[in-house]
Amino acid sequence: MQTIKQLNALTACIVRQNLTNADTIITVIAMPMFMLLFFVYVLGGNIATASGSSSATTYLRYALPGFLLLTMAMGSAYTSLRINNDRTSGFLNRLHSLPIPRWVILGSHVLASLIFMLLAELAVFVVGLIMGYRVHATIDSLLLFVGLSALFGLAITLLAIPFSLKADNYASAGGFSYVLLMLLFVSSALMPTKGMAKAVQIFADHQPMTPIVNTARKLLDHSVTLSHNTPMIAGIWLVAGMIIFAILSYRVYAKMYLTK
Amino acid sequence: MKAIEVNGVTKQFGALKVLKGINLTVEQGEIFTLLGENGAGKSTLINILATLSAQDQGTVKILGLDPIKQGNQVRPLIALNAQDTTFDAEFSGLDNLKLIAKLRGIQDIPAAIDRVAQQLDLTEFLSRKVKNYSGGMRRRLDLAMSLLGDAKVIFLDEPTTGVDPKNRLALWQMINAIRDAGKTVFLTTQYLDEADALSDHIGFISDGVIVKYGTPAEIKQRVTATYTMAIDEQKVAQAQTLLNESDISFTLTDAQFNLHAEIAAKALTLMLENSITVLHYDRDEADLESVFLAINDQENTHANY
Repeated sequence: MQTIKQLNALTACIVRQNLTNADTIITVIAMPMFMLLFFVYVLGGNIATASGSSSATTYLRYALPGFLLLTMAMGSAYTSLRINNDRTSGFLNRLHSLPIPRWVILGSHVLASLIFMLLAELAVFVVGLIMGYRVHATIDSLLLFVGLSALFGLAITLLAIPFSLKADNYASAGGFSYVLLMLLFVSSALMPTKGMAKAVQIFADHQPMTPIVNTARKLLDHSVTLSHNTPMIAGIWLVAGMIIFAILSYRVYAKMYLTK
Repeated sequence: MKAIEVNGVTKQFGALKVLKGINLTVEQGEIFTLLGENGAGKSTLINILATLSAQDQGTVKILGLDPIKQGNQVRPLIALNAQDTTFDAEFSGLDNLKLIAKLRGIQDIPAAIDRVAQQLDLTEFLSRKVKNYSGGMRRRLDLAMSLLGDAKVIFLDEPTTGVDPKNRLALWQMINAIRDAGKTVFLTTQYLDEADALSDHIGFISDGVIVKYGTPAEIKQRVTATYTMAIDEQKVAQAQTLLNESDISFTLTDAQFNLHAEIAAKALTLMLENSITVLHYDRDEADLESVFLAINDQENTHANY
């Protein structure tokens, strides 16, 4: 019970830290909103989506799920910055010298990261609704979408941990998130892959982000056509990513704090 | 039972041997100061004592418990106060204290915070954001975070670095008050006057070993003493010749000869035998700075060979 209280206390502080920091809000919530507005109202009418038509409304319907995952990817950079800042400032050492189970320390960062990413995703989703996006899905599908988002958030948070612990400074800790963002840009997140250069299209069709985004799109809109094995491929990527990143995170953490 | 016992502790990072066999004992309820240059191994030793790191060889006991094997039992008994380790400067002092109180599992949090805030003269500043605190207030808040709960051994890593003289004196009083409350303080500092003023015992760490250990008075006594011998100005040239002929080394400042203790008596005898009036002859009081410099001189001499 005491452990749960400690986890709650630390998690609540980190979430509050994120929600009261202007930089974090601008980068993780305002920036994706701005990008969504820009893409939909400036570029959207010129991008032909899977339905073949090109208008701001059809683009919004196509791209919003991609923007939601993009929002989470931007959030992972701040997870990495926070952990790195705690490490370099010595606060992680203070925490490790306190009578709390050691898993609580990184566990609270993971939990806080997930909560903040989901809140940011919800904020961008609400903007999407205001812009005219409509959900065409059952409650079950919506819950599955939340589950998929949580898995995605968990996987990229676990990926953030080794970078945050190893980076020499605050500035380089979030560098890995650019790779995540590039993977999202070179996928079906913001536009269909079929118009991409052949080599890029092959990469885009076979990298993890495309099946994950396509599955998210299908869960929010039942009219989207999807190969029946895409959700399974997305699930495999996510679970495999989580396992690999969790092992990597543990190894880096253990080397720095448990066995040194 | 000793507060801290360290026997033969070594620690190596890659090819770099940071600790080469540390031995020291800290009694309960005393202030022990670890002095040493940057890179001497102070932080490595504190990390081992504070359960953050394991030694390669040797044994460590905190109040009779092994910090690594019995870390869960040791951590409630210790508090680590490194430099500037509040949770977030955007949060108020109260928020930072509340977080630590919750993590320490303190039952009556308002009372506990009120007690340490009064002790460290922080009460009126608690609602302010930490980023608006002065350096001295930040250090006091750091100290307050360490005093929450019932830690018996407090590790203070350079608690007055970057603090103005007035706040330094205030922190000294607070550190003394911690000791007076029966807690053990393990302090590192770069200020020799601070070590002199606060410590019951001092350990000088140099190149991974404790090269001097004792009370401040004991350490000052152990350093090679010098004597000052003043003579009539008109006899200085004669005295110089006599000392040189007898191979007695000295330094001369304004008719005062500074001599190492082991040859000072011989020099005095020489003056008296040659009817040179000695106006003043006395042992110089060593201070910790001269000990520190002597240790570093020895180290540099070794390094040169």
